[in-house]
Amino acid sequence: MAPGLRLLRGNVGLMVAPVVIAIAGVLLAVRVGGAEKDFSEASALQWSERLWPQLRRHIELTMWSTFWVLIIAIPLGILLTRPRLKFLAGPVLTVANSGQAIPAYGLLVLLAAWLGTTFSTAVIAFTIFAILPVLRNTMVGLDQVDKSVIEAGRGMGMSRRRALVSIELPLAVPVILAGVRTALVINVGMAALAFLIGGGGLGETINSGLKLQRDLTTFTGAAMVALLALTVDWIAAVAERVLRPRGL
Amino acid sequence: MSGITNWFEYVGDRWSDVWGASWDHLMLVIQVMIVATVLSVAVGVAVRNNATLRNIALGVAGILITIPSLALFTIFIPIVGLGFKPAFIALLLYAILPILRNTITGLREVDPNVLESARGMGLNGTQRLIRVQLPLAWPVILAGIRVSTLITTGFAAIATLVAGPGLGIFIKDGLRRLGLPLSMESVWTGTIFTILLALALDLVLSTIGRFTTSRGVR
Amino acid sequence: MNQSDTTEPMIRLDRVSKVYPGQSSPAVAELSLDIARGEVLVLVGPSGCGKSTTLRLINRMIEPSNGRIIFDGEDVTGVNPDLLRRRIGYVIQQIGLFPHMTIADNVATVPRLLGWKKDKIRARVDELLDMVGLEPNVYRDRYPKELSGGQAQRCGVARALGADPEVLLMDEPFGAIDPITRDRLQNEFLRLQSELKKTIVFVTHDIDEAMKMGDRIAILKESSQIAQLDKPEHILAYPVDDFVDDFIGSGSTLKGLSFERVRDLELSPYPMIRHNAGHAQARRVLDEAPQRWLLVLDDMDRPLRWVNDSHLDRTDRPLRDLGHPVRAKVEPNATLHDTLEAMLTSMAGCACVIDKRGSLQGVVEIEALTDVIRRLRANARKHYEDENGQSQPTGTPS
Ligand SMILES: Nc1ncnc2c1ncn2[C@@H]1O[C@H](COP(=O)(O)OP(=O)(O)OP(=O)(O)O)[C@@H](O)[C@H]1O
Ligand SMILES: [Mg+2]
Repeated sequence: MAPGLRLLRGNVGLMVAPVVIAIAGVLLAVRVGGAEKDFSEASALQWSERLWPQLRRHIELTMWSTFWVLIIAIPLGILLTRPRLKFLAGPVLTVANSGQAIPAYGLLVLLAAWLGTTFSTAVIAFTIFAILPVLRNTMVGLDQVDKSVIEAGRGMGMSRRRALVSIELPLAVPVILAGVRTALVINVGMAALAFLIGGGGLGETINSGLKLQRDLTTFTGAAMVALLALTVDWIAAVAERVLRPRGL
Repeated sequence: MSGITNWFEYVGDRWSDVWGASWDHLMLVIQVMIVATVLSVAVGVAVRNNATLRNIALGVAGILITIPSLALFTIFIPIVGLGFKPAFIALLLYAILPILRNTITGLREVDPNVLESARGMGLNGTQRLIRVQLPLAWPVILAGIRVSTLITTGFAAIATLVAGPGLGIFIKDGLRRLGLPLSMESVWTGTIFTILLALALDLVLSTIGRFTTSRGVR
Repeated sequence: MNQSDTTEPMIRLDRVSKVYPGQSSPAVAELSLDIARGEVLVLVGPSGCGKSTTLRLINRMIEPSNGRIIFDGEDVTGVNPDLLRRRIGYVIQQIGLFPHMTIADNVATVPRLLGWKKDKIRARVDELLDMVGLEPNVYRDRYPKELSGGQAQRCGVARALGADPEVLLMDEPFGAIDPITRDRLQNEFLRLQSELKKTIVFVTHDIDEAMKMGDRIAILKESSQIAQLDKPEHILAYPVDDFVDDFIGSGSTLKGLSFERVRDLELSPYPMIRHNAGHAQARRVLDEAPQRWLLVLDDMDRPLRWVNDSHLDRTDRPLRDLGHPVRAKVEPNATLHDTLEAMLTSMAGCACVIDKRGSLQGVVEIEALTDVIRRLRANARKHYEDENGQSQPTGTPS
C-alpha cells in the first residue's frame, strides 16, 4: 500500500470526499452542458473564455493571500509567545477576535477605495481577514506544548532557540496546520468576493447571474465555488495528515 | 478631520435610513441566531452519545461552513428566489457549526464522575441532561453562540447582494458610486454600524453569560 | 416496603455474573453474597478483580448478565433502576459533586427528586452537613470548588445520605485523600455508623482500611471470586490460603492484636510492693516470684517504679527513689496492639493496666499476648474445620 494511502486509512471521510466532489463536478458539468441557454447565459458559462480563467484567478487569489497569511501570522505567533513579548499576547488576541466583527464586504470596498481596484488590493484584504485563525492557532499550539518537555530539553543544554526549533514548533505543528487549513478555506470564500473590486475569480459568474437574473449562471458559479472550497479543504486535510510529525 | 465630521453629517442626514437598515440587520441576525441555537443544541443533544451520528453532524456542519458565503447566499436562489429567504438560509447554515461543535464538546467534557454520581442518585436521562449536563456545558455552548453571532453579523452585510435586508445596502451603494461624492461615507456607515451591532450583540451575550452561568463553574 | 424479619439479609446476590461486552472472562462470576442489616461489609482485593463492578451491580449502574439481586426481600433485577438508586446512597472516590450547584443543592438532590417539601429539605440539609462535620452556616452556600478534598468527600457522604437510605455503597471513598485526613475521615465515619447503623458495602484495595472499617471482609480474587469472607480478626488469625496470606501481607499477627482488648486478658500475679516497705521485705517478695522485676506502688496503688535485684543491692534509699519510672501504662479498653507497643518501651518488658484513677489493675506480660495469639489461631482454625466438607470457607461465622 502506498504511504499516502496508509495515512488516509482509518479516516473514511478523507477517502470519500474526493469521490463525492468529483461526482458532483461531473453532474454539474452535465447539467450545465445539457441545459438550453440563451445568448447571455451561453457566453457567461463558456468554459475556456470565462469559467476556466476565473477558476485560475480564484486559485491564484487564494494561494497568494494564504502565502502572505503564513508569512505574517506564524512568525508573529512565535514572537508573541516568547517570554519577553508574552504580555502582548492577550491584547493582540482580543483585538484579533473582535476583528471577526468587521464585515468582509465593507473592508474590501474600503481598501479598494484607498488602494485602487486591483489584484493586490484583494490579496491584501483577504490576508487581513485570514490572519486570525493562523495567529491564534500558532499561539495556542506553542502554548499547549508540555512545559516539562521544554524543561527537559533545556536541561539537556538546548538553547532557547534550539528548544523552539526542535521541540516547541514540531509539537505545535498539528495545531498550526489546523489554523492554516481554516485560513485556506476562508480565503477561497473571500476570493469569491474579489469580483466586487475587479479582482476577478468565480464571483464574476455569480454576479453576472444575479445581474442578468439567470439562475443557472448564478447556481453554476456558486456550485463551482463550493466545490473548489471543498477540494481545497480536502487537500489541506490530507496535507495536515502528511505533514504532522510522526508520533503525534 | 473634516472626513469624520462629514461622516457624522452624512449619518445625521440619513438617520432614519441608517436606523432602519440597522434594525433590519439586527432582526435578521437575531432570527438566524435563535433558530441556529435551537437547532444546533437540539442536534448536539441528540447525537452526543453516538460517535457515528456525532461525526456525521459535525461533518455536515463542517462542509456547510467550508462553502464560501457568497456561494451559500446564491445557491438557493433558484429555489427560494431573492430577498430575505436566501439570506436567512445561508446565514443559518453558516451559524450552525460553532454552536453545534461547542454543544457537543461541552456536553462531552462534563466530568464522567459527575455523571456517574448523578446516575447513582437516581436521576434519569432527561434529569441528568437538564439538571447536570446542559448547565455544565452552557458556558461552552454560549461561547459558540458568541462566535456564531460575530460571524453572522459580519456576513449579513453581504445579504444585500441577494437583495436581502441590512446594512450592506450602504456598502453596495458606496461601491456603485465609488469616486462620486459621499460614496466613502456610505461605505463607512455600512461597515461601522455592522461592527457596532456585532460588538453590542457580543456584549449582550456576555452579560447573559454572566447571569446564567453558575458561580461554581466560572 | 415489606415487613421483613431481622435475619433476612438486606442485600442478597444470588449467583450474579457480569461479562462486559467484548471480554472473554467475566468481571464477576457466579457471585453469591449475603449482606446483613446494619453491617459494614468490605470488598477488598487486587486492582481489576471486580470490586467496583460488584458494587455497581447492586444499584444496577450496570446490569447483571446473569443471576438475581434481592434488595430488602424484593427481587430488584427488574425494577426501575432510577427508583432503586434513590433508595441507595452511592459514594465514589472522585465524589462527583455537581460543580454548578451549591453544597446545599448538592445534598438536596435526592430529597428533591423524591418531592420533599422545601422546609423539610432545608432542615435535612443542615442536619446532614452538621452530621458530617461541615458547619451549615459556613458551607451551605459554597460551591464544590471552594472545598478541600476532605471537605468535598464529607459533602459526598452527606449527599449520599440525603434521603436517609438504608443502604450505602462506597467505592474507595477515601482513596484520593492524604493519609492524615483519611484517618480522620475513617474515624468520623465509624462514629457516624455507630449511630446510623446503615447497611454499608465498602470497596477498598487497602487491607488496613478494610480491617479498620469492616464488620466483615470479603477478600476477592479474579472475577470477584471470594477467597475468604469473615470478620477481620478471623481472617488475620487464619488466612485460608496463600492468596489471602499474601494479600493481608506481613504483620498480620500484629494487626490481629488491634482487635483484642486488655480487659479481656486473664492476668497472672506479679510481684509488687508499697513504696514505704523496707529493702529486706522487697528482696523477699522478689525472690519468691519467678519474675526479675518488682513493681513499686504508692498509697493509692498507683504504679511508681520498676526495681530489680541490682538496685536493691547497692543502696538503702527508699524504694520510691530506686530503679526506673513506670511509663508503660494502659487502660482496660486499650487494644493489645497498643499494649504491646507500650511493653516494648518498658524497662521490665511489661505494661501496667490501670483504671481511671490510675490504680493498678494488673500487669501484662509477653506470655499473656502469646497466649492470646495462640488462642485466636486455634479458634479461627476450629471455626473453619467445623464447617468440614465445605471447600470454600465463606460462610458466616458463628
Ligand atoms: N465498562 C467496562 N467495560 C469493559 N470492561 C470493564 C469495564 N469496567 C471494568 N471492566 C473490567 O472488568 C474488570 C473488573 O473491573 P473493576 O472496575 O470492577 O475492578 P476493581 O476491582 O474495582 O479494580 P480497582 O481496584 O482498580 O478499582 C477489569 O478487568 C476491568 O478491566
Ligand atoms: Mg474500582
